[in-house]
Amino acid sequence: MPRTWPLAAALASFAVASATPARAGEPTEPAVHVTLPWVVTQLVPSPELAYGRDVARSGARWQLTPLLYSWGIHRGLSPWRFFVAEPFVRQSGSVELFFTPEYLVYGSSLADGAMLRAGTRAYFPLAAQGEYLSASVGTSAFLFEGRWGAAYEVGAYALFGIVGVQLTYTPSAPPIAWMATLRLRYF
Amino acid sequence: MASRRSSLRSLACLARLACLALAGTASGCAIGGMAGRNAATLFSSPAPVPDRITRPQRDDARLAVLWVGHATALVQLDDKFVLTDPLLTDTVGQLTHRLQEPGIDPANLPPLDAVIVSHMHFDHLSPGSLEMIEAKVRRLFVPQGGLVYVPNFAFDARELPTWTSFEEGGLRITAVPVKHVGYRYGVDAAWMTRSFTGYVLEYHGLVVYFGGDTAYDGARFRATAARFPHIDLALLPIAPIHPREMMESLHEDPGEAVQAFLDLGARTMVPIHFDTLINGFDQPGEARAALERAMKERGLGEDRVKILPIGGQAVVVPRQSR
Repeated sequence: MPRTWPLAAALASFAVASATPARAGEPTEPAVHVTLPWVVTQLVPSPELAYGRDVARSGARWQLTPLLYSWGIHRGLSPWRFFVAEPFVRQSGSVELFFTPEYLVYGSSLADGAMLRAGTRAYFPLAAQGEYLSASVGTSAFLFEGRWGAAYEVGAYALFGIVGVQLTYTPSAPPIAWMATLRLRYF
Repeated sequence: MASRRSSLRSLACLARLACLALAGTASGCAIGGMAGRNAATLFSSPAPVPDRITRPQRDDARLAVLWVGHATALVQLDDKFVLTDPLLTDTVGQLTHRLQEPGIDPANLPPLDAVIVSHMHFDHLSPGSLEMIEAKVRRLFVPQGGLVYVPNFAFDARELPTWTSFEEGGLRITAVPVKHVGYRYGVDAAWMTRSFTGYVLEYHGLVVYFGGDTAYDGARFRATAARFPHIDLALLPIAPIHPREMMESLHEDPGEAVQAFLDLGARTMVPIHFDTLINGFDQPGEARAALERAMKERGLGEDRVKILPIGGQAVVVPRQSR
């Protein structure tokens, strides 16, 4: 196995160990695991704009998926994914727990703009089993400026999930009310 | 060592993807150039196929083939119908527009006893195309490990590892070795290492070879010929040709396809996988011309190698001949 993170390595070992031997007609569990190229893809930020009580702010977010359950995947295969989820497995119909570090150009110090968000999101295929077009709804809790808030979101994605738009609404916790994110994600 | 190679392969795939994203600005990047050519087709409509066949069933044929385009062919073996690598959508993965419409309206396809998918690339496994024909398909076959990219359709779908067979109603389908790659997205190259195959179809003594998408590997073709010594029809890819240094480990060129045809010992060859999409740096017509040169060099006539237009149909074994 290539370079791994400890937790991811353990999960990868589980995935590899659970891969089934080949038999005619029987589905083969893919030995999905963390690889260096996957790590590289996770570093790509998704740019965003936040609008609240004062002015619009730009920023970026990254995303991790500790756990995903796919109902779009072939029924003979495990629907669970840990961190690494193939685009098809996600966009063909799934629900995921996500963790999203974000940064907004905000306040007088670097720390002022940091935001941590965790939540759940469901994807629904709309065209070509979600590879051409899919949509999502989700909700999250976030920590910003030392305060917790709740948010709701919708999204739409094309190009097997590489490119999408997410709109996030926070009804109760100014200074941020609306966020628009150009979601760039490969795996 | 193997995992390091796998990581490097994945990184190379990522680099190609990055080039795709930078198409048109990445000078010297072959993939970028290809992506640029693809982008140029995105705003054009596929050319129509004149006089598309509406009833593909041939009463005068025991074995017939209709080239739908790219690697998609409708094969008739007596009363059985098999569709290969169905690509019926206007675009491939929303990135490549087809140059010509499919050679048959999907509504006019007969009930399909089997659909065979050779590997996971977007131009061979097309969920949107499978959606179009879902009600017509009895069973779908993919290579080992391929079901992860096949959603829950109404039809049965199953994996067929190399050298294993499935038989139903006298139609026997065997997965045979080819030389290609099994990933779909690049990052998955680390674990999608076996999901590519060719197939041999057998029914009532008729034998059809489908190469899917393969580089030239004489040993694999000869091994198939040893097990299937009387192949009536070989469907063999002949492109993309260029850039050769990039393509030769993945794709036969027309000369190699002719050699594969001879290695297989098949009676008839029908070329596929050309002039349907932007194929590498190939110009439309280039693969066909190269194939005609290779045929001439090998002394092969049109009776042995039948070059069909998209939508063209050939009777390989007439009904009275056996």
